Amino acid sequence: MTKLETVIQPAKFDAVKDALIEIGVEGMTVTEVRGHGRQKGHTEFYRGREYTVDLLPKVKIEMVLPDHIVDRAVQAITTAARTGKIGDGKIFLARVDEAIRIRNDDRGENAL
Amino acid sequence: MSTGPHPPELPPSKVPIATPVPDLTLRNNYRQESQRIQHDFGAIGSGLASLSSRTRLVDTLALTLWEQHFTEVARGGCSLVALGGFGRSELFPYSDIDLLFLTEDNACGDRIKSAISSMCQTMWDCGLRVSPCVRTLADCGRFDQNNLEFTLSLLDCRFLCGDQPLFERLHARHLPQLIARESDALLQSLSEMTQSRHQRFGNTIFHLEPNLKDGPGGLRDCHVAQWIGMIVALSSGRHDLVSVRQNSAHGEMLDAMEFLCSSRCYLHYRHGRDDNSVTWAAQEELAARGIATGAGAVSPAEWMRIYFRHAKAVHRNSSQLLGQVSRERSSLYRSFQHWRSRVSNSEFSVVDGRVYFQQAADAREAAAVLRLFTFMAHHGVALSPEAERRLNDAHLRLAETLPQDQYLWQQLREILTLPHAANALRAMHSLNLLTRAVPEFETIDVLVLRDLYHRYTVDEHTFMAIEVLHGLKDEKYPSLQPFAQLVSELEHPELLFLALLLHDTGKGLEGADHVHGSLQLAASAVERMQLSEEDAATVCFLVANHLEISSTLRRRDIYDPTTIRELADKIGAPERLKLLTLLTLADIKAVNPEALTPWKAENLWRLYTRTAGYFDRSADVEGSDAKVSREVVEKVMELLPTQRSEVLKFLEGLPQRYLPSHSPEQVAQHFAMAGSLAAEPVQLGLRPNSGQHELTVVTGDHPGLFRTLAGILYAWGMDITKATAFSNRSGVVVDTFYFKDRFRTLELNPPECERFQRFVREILMREASLDRLLESRLKADHKPVKLSVQTHLRYDDECSSRSTLLEIVTQDRPGLLHTISATLTTEECSIEVALIDTEGPVAHDVFYITCDGHKLTAERMRAIEWALTAELADTLPSTW
Repeated sequence: MTKLETVIQPAKFDAVKDALIEIGVEGMTVTEVRGHGRQKGHTEFYRGREYTVDLLPKVKIEMVLPDHIVDRAVQAITTAARTGKIGDGKIFLARVDEAIRIRNDDRGENAL
Repeated sequence: MSTGPHPPELPPSKVPIATPVPDLTLRNNYRQESQRIQHDFGAIGSGLASLSSRTRLVDTLALTLWEQHFTEVARGGCSLVALGGFGRSELFPYSDIDLLFLTEDNACGDRIKSAISSMCQTMWDCGLRVSPCVRTLADCGRFDQNNLEFTLSLLDCRFLCGDQPLFERLHARHLPQLIARESDALLQSLSEMTQSRHQRFGNTIFHLEPNLKDGPGGLRDCHVAQWIGMIVALSSGRHDLVSVRQNSAHGEMLDAMEFLCSSRCYLHYRHGRDDNSVTWAAQEELAARGIATGAGAVSPAEWMRIYFRHAKAVHRNSSQLLGQVSRERSSLYRSFQHWRSRVSNSEFSVVDGRVYFQQAADAREAAAVLRLFTFMAHHGVALSPEAERRLNDAHLRLAETLPQDQYLWQQLREILTLPHAANALRAMHSLNLLTRAVPEFETIDVLVLRDLYHRYTVDEHTFMAIEVLHGLKDEKYPSLQPFAQLVSELEHPELLFLALLLHDTGKGLEGADHVHGSLQLAASAVERMQLSEEDAATVCFLVANHLEISSTLRRRDIYDPTTIRELADKIGAPERLKLLTLLTLADIKAVNPEALTPWKAENLWRLYTRTAGYFDRSADVEGSDAKVSREVVEKVMELLPTQRSEVLKFLEGLPQRYLPSHSPEQVAQHFAMAGSLAAEPVQLGLRPNSGQHELTVVTGDHPGLFRTLAGILYAWGMDITKATAFSNRSGVVVDTFYFKDRFRTLELNPPECERFQRFVREILMREASLDRLLESRLKADHKPVKLSVQTHLRYDDECSSRSTLLEIVTQDRPGLLHTISATLTTEECSIEVALIDTEGPVAHDVFYITCDGHKLTAERMRAIEWALTAELADTLPSTW
């Protein structure tokens, strides 16, 4: 099992979600977050005065997937979320040792 | 999913919660039965049988759970109804199970809430994907524009258990009333929904890895056809309209349904979920197991051929039905069609954009039928279902009487040169009349080339190619506009179209070289049609040489005078050059939507003008190139009047092809860059160029420069299409790389251009290391190979006066150019020109190389061949 933590542009969330469902991803946890990557925010004007917006709104999607689907999920996310511009987001992958369904104590991939 | 109330329980740690016993038995029984059905499918391979067994199994499960969870009280005024695929008794192994809890009123719905959630939860735990809905009878009788799917799924409703009279009221009264009332809106929404679904698949059945359910020509289209039939039958007065059409399509559609069902069933078992895409690997398995073929194992290409036959039939039938109903109902379309009907004449009438025979008996006369196709090619109208039926009825007679000789050619030449020729040819082909008139075409009927590059079947590719040429006059892309002019200059366009019609017929014959087969078939066709000797020779010439220009583009440096001379000698006359250039353009563009890049089109045009220029001057290209070079030098002098001697010094020692292949401005820029080398030892120029980017590097001689640059571009995710390298006597190197920016990084992010150039400079100055970046790019691009390609190396020592040509055909893979150029550098060779082309999984790379400024010795060639073969075998990506 692998955990995918994906940060994307909020506008791309629907496309990413649909692409993930299309390839068979069954569950995900979504959070609205703020942050910045290499672009370090951008500059905006408010009443003629310049000020820096350094934390941009993003959407974070977390999901734990069986390993055989991970490559396809990464591909689906990158395809759906890519605009080609700086700020498209990132995907982080990490190994997960165990998953437990609280309701009936299913373990491992059964619990996903 | 909603959860029902559960007694609170505290499980001891590490011990699984005890699930209620009945559920466990139910789950096990269900699993065992499912396995048995899967096993039966594996043994017999009948999709339809397996769907109905599975429906029965889920029926039983639902009934048992109904008994368990619904008390007597709850059952009153409530019935359980199967919808959608479950309702049709076509339950695929991993399809959703649509359940409707139909209730008398809202109060009843509230009463059964908890029973529903515990029933559904048990079904979920069995591994079934249930989607339950609770509706009152009144709800079901209302049409919600935003939930068309629900009304459509009601069309397939089936009673499972509970209050039967309640269900009957829905089935016999409310549903027919709803359909009769809302049929227009329903058909309209259904047609829009289908259109947008088709749009997702590019409105074509031709995909390398098609989707059996949602793709055009897939199962969903069969359902759409069924629904239209039901809606039209249920709505008053329109009963006769579609039923005729439905009956004639029945056999064909049933066969297709059976094929699609068995294949989809296999895909579900194979993927372990509701995934209906026939992937490359799945195609091989389906073919090897002979799923749905009716004839045991076949080759994957043959399996796909069967698939496309069925998909074509489904797509044709369902689009006709949809077109018919949406036209009936759109007043705008009607007024437009009314205008169009003015094209009717004494033989044919046009109604709603469809053509009818004025005299029914004409459908039996070959001459009238050929005139019908000419009419279609002229006006771009489609066959009416009635005309199609008449032609089908008269097929035997037509097949015998259709001319194949001079008379056919008289009609065919007219059809071919009319603007909607492809349209008429497709109609002719779907009625099996094209293969009667031109039997040579039979070999490529729905023929599949399974190479991940040719997206269309060979017959469709042929029609597309004809369509491309006719479409040129309305072309928007600037790179294609000059070719439109060329079409209008043709003396005998019909010969070009005939050659296009026949150019790939050899692909259906045994043997590796299809050109030879096509030529034989073309020769027999033109002889039968009694073309004049001259015309016949032109058609045969075009078919025999239809790959000549593309192979020149791919393998030769078009700025090399020898290339132009050789090509001109082979072609012989300017008119033939025009014909062959257009044929090449149409042939490439009809391979897949991305095959003809602006870059390729521009190169084709450049090759055409250079060769045409050779014919015009009837002089040798070297002479004219020398003239061009002199002109360039003069213009550069004009740009830089005070630096004459410095410019001449810069040009000293640069190869002959440098001047003709660059504009005076470019030369002046290179000169200026060379002049600044003292201040900054790496000079870079980056600019967009016809959809690609051009990177020019001017620097002092630098071992392995080409290899390093290839590596840098690859590490940034760029696809190199061409590269040239020049150096002058004083050791200044001018390397130019043309590349495609795969991710549009440079185009969309202006600051990245600066970072990119800084990076190139740092690597070349050895201030940064390339290896780590290359490694991570390799990891990102690692994809298993679907189709293996044999590696071939070939030298050509004749085609250039200065360098040896090395042609490499191999499996495309990440960083290929970097691998090859690194090996060539190790073998002490310099790369003068590199031409890089990729067709699907196959990479065709051509290098003009020298060693110490001379051609390669035989010994060196062997050493390179040995090293490259080893290196290419080592870096081969894994197969799936």
